[in-house]
Amino acid sequence: MDVDEFIETKDLAKVYTFGTVEVAALRAVTLSVARGRLVGVTGASGSGKSTLVNLLGGLDRPSSGSIRVDGRLVSDLSKKELALYRRNTVGMIFQSFNLVNAYTAVENVAFPLLFAGVAKSERLRRAEELLVTVGLEARKDHRPTELSGGEQQRVAIARALVNRPQILLADEPTGNLDSKTSRQIVEILANLNKHQGLTVVMISHEKDLLREFADELIGLHDGAVVDREVLRQPL
Amino acid sequence: MRISDYIGQACGNLWKKKLRTFLTTSGVVIGVGALVCMLAFGQGIQRNVTDQFKKLDLFNYVNVFAAGGPDRPGESSDPDDDGGRRAEHGRRRGGPVPDANQPSPRLDAQALERIGEIDGVEAAFPEMRFPAQIRLGAKELFTLVQVLPADVGRSGLITLRSGACYASNEPNELVISDSLLHRLGVKDPETALGTKIEVATLTLDFSFTRLLQMVFSSGGQALPFARENYAFTVVGVAGRMGFMGPLPMQSDVLIPPGAAAKMRKLSLTSVWDLFAPSGGTASYSAVTVKVKSPQQVEPVKKEIESQGFRTFALMDQLEQMRIGFLIMDMFLIAVGMIGITVASLGIVNTMVMSILERYREIGIMKAVGATDGDVQRIFLFESGTIGLLGGLFGLSLGWAVSMVINEVINILMARQGAPRMDYFSFPWWLCLGAILFSILVSLLAGVYPTRRAARVDPVVALRHD
Repeated sequence: MDVDEFIETKDLAKVYTFGTVEVAALRAVTLSVARGRLVGVTGASGSGKSTLVNLLGGLDRPSSGSIRVDGRLVSDLSKKELALYRRNTVGMIFQSFNLVNAYTAVENVAFPLLFAGVAKSERLRRAEELLVTVGLEARKDHRPTELSGGEQQRVAIARALVNRPQILLADEPTGNLDSKTSRQIVEILANLNKHQGLTVVMISHEKDLLREFADELIGLHDGAVVDREVLRQPL
Repeated sequence: MRISDYIGQACGNLWKKKLRTFLTTSGVVIGVGALVCMLAFGQGIQRNVTDQFKKLDLFNYVNVFAAGGPDRPGESSDPDDDGGRRAEHGRRRGGPVPDANQPSPRLDAQALERIGEIDGVEAAFPEMRFPAQIRLGAKELFTLVQVLPADVGRSGLITLRSGACYASNEPNELVISDSLLHRLGVKDPETALGTKIEVATLTLDFSFTRLLQMVFSSGGQALPFARENYAFTVVGVAGRMGFMGPLPMQSDVLIPPGAAAKMRKLSLTSVWDLFAPSGGTASYSAVTVKVKSPQQVEPVKKEIESQGFRTFALMDQLEQMRIGFLIMDMFLIAVGMIGITVASLGIVNTMVMSILERYREIGIMKAVGATDGDVQRIFLFESGTIGLLGGLFGLSLGWAVSMVINEVINILMARQGAPRMDYFSFPWWLCLGAILFSILVSLLAGVYPTRRAARVDPVVALRHD
């Protein structure tokens, strides 16, 4: 294994079974992502993009093949180890934001720290700091229903960062946003990648936007990698 | 996660659904309240009985019966089997076995004296009771009169509400229970002191005149009974006595032996009394022995049994009483559990609803790093909090209802002249146990829903709308 290959999948496959029908969402995907890279994943609906991110994020388990992150075989982790991997190694951002409507912005950002056993005062302090980073300090006491789509996604980004992860996985973070807000969100992710050295895997339909900010592009079709384009060489 | 965070999460989530939490908790409150009420009643009865026994030193008493005399409850009275029965009794008690061929010793004044001299015996007095009509003014009531020596009466055996026990064994003085006095129309015990009461006894009358009356008349006149009237002065009014009163005082009127000896009367406490010799030393149907401490009951009993008498001690019945109380408690718990069972179904329903409503939130929890255990514990703390609140308020409700019922019973019993009592008891273990039990039941009710929550697939939950 190359030392630069931070994320590595080998013959990764995921098959969903609906009664007697089997649907292959991913077929033998083998790829690698170096540490500190921003990788865009594109593809039509049903091409397996979200499944790939769910597997990389430890939300789901592969039917076959392996995932290795920083040398650690994620696909073999127990349920509890997988939860700790999600808590400590990855931060996830979703198209539909997935914020808890009953909580305020700051409470949503602090939410992951609850499971890490961080004291409440420290949780809120770190959450407020991150809301400043994403420019939402004035909206910290607002609930998700009182925020715009872009603001909600910025809260979601802050939440993904609160446990100081090494990888940021974004599943169509601009899917529910207008073009201007989409650019702002991608800019935030690109900045995190550049300035904090976070490894970012971002799914998007907006290929042009990805070309502008991503280091690499991976194209998926019918669950298989059909295209891989290096846009910027690692420094 | 920290314990404080679990508690905070549980309280916060329950507070968000106030009405549902209130309704679910109300079910637990009613269930726990009913259970607490039932158990407190059982404990109250148990406490009152044992306290009364201890207060009256009833565990220090031994009843002595002549081996061939009246039977103890539940024993055979076959006169042909007298010796065998005594032998069997001795074997069963582990005491000395009287010789079956020896004649049964008489339970008379000499035997009483011998029993009184046994080491550990504080007092021994014969159990003598006879039926009588008690008249005060125009009111007349039937009751059993007990003959009780003055020294025994003054030893603290009787709880006096006013006056004192007669000072000697001779005067025509009596102690009457306040309930009988109440039924005779006297409301204030103090006013009864010094009052003359007429005690009318029945005697067997086989005189020639009586026989002639029997031959030529009908109805009550056709029986060989005569009525004798004696005047007594009330010197003391005792608390609870008579039927259901404390042993061995189960008569409403106590008179001294000297006065009783001067009365013509027909004792009906035992059929043996009918056949007792009219002259010479009378034998008693039973003798009550008071020992100095409960530890001395067994050696005193053995010594008495070695003299050829049979014994009965309440101490022997203690285990039976405990079993009886346990059965009563079990029954009360079973009734109380109906409410708890219904309440626990309410908790299951609430928790399942809560999990369905927060399905997506569970997905988010897992996506940001919550383990299955974290999710399960968050919901278990919620059901546990319902149990804690239900336990606390249920205990309060049970206590409040018990107080109301206690007042009502006391008002009704006061009309019968009974003294005020607490019919419910709330020992610390009952209060603590009720709360812990409520939490335990709520946690058990939460097990299925929380396991379901822990098994939620985050991928599916995050797509859930």
